[in-house]
Amino acid sequence: MKNSIKVERAKKNITQAELAKLAKVSRQTINAMELGKYVPSTVLALRLAQIFEVEISGIFTLEDSDWV
Amino acid sequence: MKLNFLFPNKFKKVGWFTLIPSVIIGLLTLIYEYEPSFLDFNVPAIFVDELLFSVNRKTFRMVTNNILNEILGVLIIISTFLVAFSKEKSEDEYISKIRFESLAWAVYFNYAILILTLLFIYDFAFLWVMVFNMFTVLLFFIVRFNWQISKLKKSASYEE
Repeated sequence: MKNSIKVERAKKNITQAELAKLAKVSRQTINAMELGKYVPSTVLALRLAQIFEVEISGIFTLEDSDWV
Repeated sequence: MKLNFLFPNKFKKVGWFTLIPSVIIGLLTLIYEYEPSFLDFNVPAIFVDELLFSVNRKTFRMVTNNILNEILGVLIIISTFLVAFSKEKSEDEYISKIRFESLAWAVYFNYAILILTLLFIYDFAFLWVMVFNMFTVLLFFIVRFNWQISKLKKSASYEE
């Protein structure tokens, strides 16, 4: 699954640490998601969508490999 | 993801402060077969001498036993649980995922080693393997989990 967290973060002009605080997770988790190493839970994905004020599908997109 | 079986973060320190001395004293008492007489007690036992399927088995009676190794064994198990299952300072869903992966890894690793020792270690030496095997699943978990967490912290410190 791809995500545009880094882009959304840049639009809002906030750091990983600030986003982590808003989303109530550790900075490592934000970092791991941006690097595509971690797929967040639905709850965390919804929190991020609310923080960035976009639809959830505006941040996360499925890839072909997600269907395998 | 909320995990309900975790202890508060402060118990991790308590765990380490109990675990390290208990392991050191435990190993020393094993090596030197130290059994101080003031810890000899009459204690209730479920099985005495003969094993489960023997006709001569003796069950449910009092036996005299030195309780030092029982005390240390229980201390080590409880403190290992505190170290293994206390929350991290920033316990979140990603940490939980690493926790579960490390736990599964530790179970696989522990039993792989147990198979090897079953096949290649015999008699009294195997009894020693069993003594250590009582504690190794959680010890392997602690090593693996903390290693993963420190790797995570290191990799995240380069970003921003």
